[in-house]
Amino acid sequence: MIGLKGCLNVIDNSGALLVECVNVLKQKVNNGWGSVGDEIVCVVKQARPISEATQASATAVKVRRGDVRRAVIVRTKKPVRRPDGRFVRFDDNAAVLLNNKREMLGTRIGGVVSADLRMKGWTKIVSLAPKVV
Amino acid sequence: MNSRLFKLVTRLASSKAGSVEYPFSKNALLPVPLAVPSDRADALRKGRGLMYFLQQNLPEPKKRQWLQTLFSRQHPQRLLPGSVLTVTLEHAPGVFSGVLMSVRRRGPDTSFVLRNVVQRTGVEMQFFVNSPHLKDIRVIQRAGGGPGKEGRRQRRAKLFFLRDSPSKMTAISAGLRG
Repeated sequence: MIGLKGCLNVIDNSGALLVECVNVLKQKVNNGWGSVGDEIVCVVKQARPISEATQASATAVKVRRGDVRRAVIVRTKKPVRRPDGRFVRFDDNAAVLLNNKREMLGTRIGGVVSADLRMKGWTKIVSLAPKVV
Repeated sequence: MNSRLFKLVTRLASSKAGSVEYPFSKNALLPVPLAVPSDRADALRKGRGLMYFLQQNLPEPKKRQWLQTLFSRQHPQRLLPGSVLTVTLEHAPGVFSGVLMSVRRRGPDTSFVLRNVVQRTGVEMQFFVNSPHLKDIRVIQRAGGGPGKEGRRQRRAKLFFLRDSPSKMTAISAGLRG
């Protein structure tokens, strides 16, 4: 249940570390809740320092503190129900950054992701993840 | 006339569960109804002995055996919280192992929660014993088995404090490997 002001860890290598949710895109209102597999609009609160190589190149993605980006939620602390009645609960909230066309910004994912992403259509993220639970 | 009869017979012979009994969908899966003995039918319809009948007949034989031994309250071989189990599932992730944190005993609705640390992230999964997706439960280490601190019986029924203390999780897993 990620809503306005919810903080998530970023588990890809785009450069951001912590993002704060601003809007959940599946709802038409501002006060909705997002779960695993939902797209959100978020503000980057903490980011890794950008190396000189990335600063010099024009095509590399530069994620800085204060950027407004989109992301998809991959882990939640709130238990998510599977169709057979199982519940899965992680110890933190995590997201993967996206661009406006629902493509990933980073190239690698470092951490567990939830298998509910496959049901919502994020097969690229599921295939890149080192472990899917 | 003969062809119409033939078509009727073949249609009835090849009817799946969805076409005749459930007219709204061809792909609906209808579960097999419970076999009720005729002498108990009247009493059960009035509600007498209903819960006991459901507890004995609703789960499959293997699951019923699990409920009576592994998940009962007094059986000598019951699972104590703090045991390490491996669960085989039909869907993702396939195999999940973890420390048994809690058993929620509700008869046919019994469930248990396993906690594990996967890639530095804690993951908890709640499994329902009667789910057809749950294929197998294997006990790797029983709580209260070994000597010393690791094998000591847990003094709580629900081990939710493991969420805040990773050191206790490593203590249980260290006893496992050692």
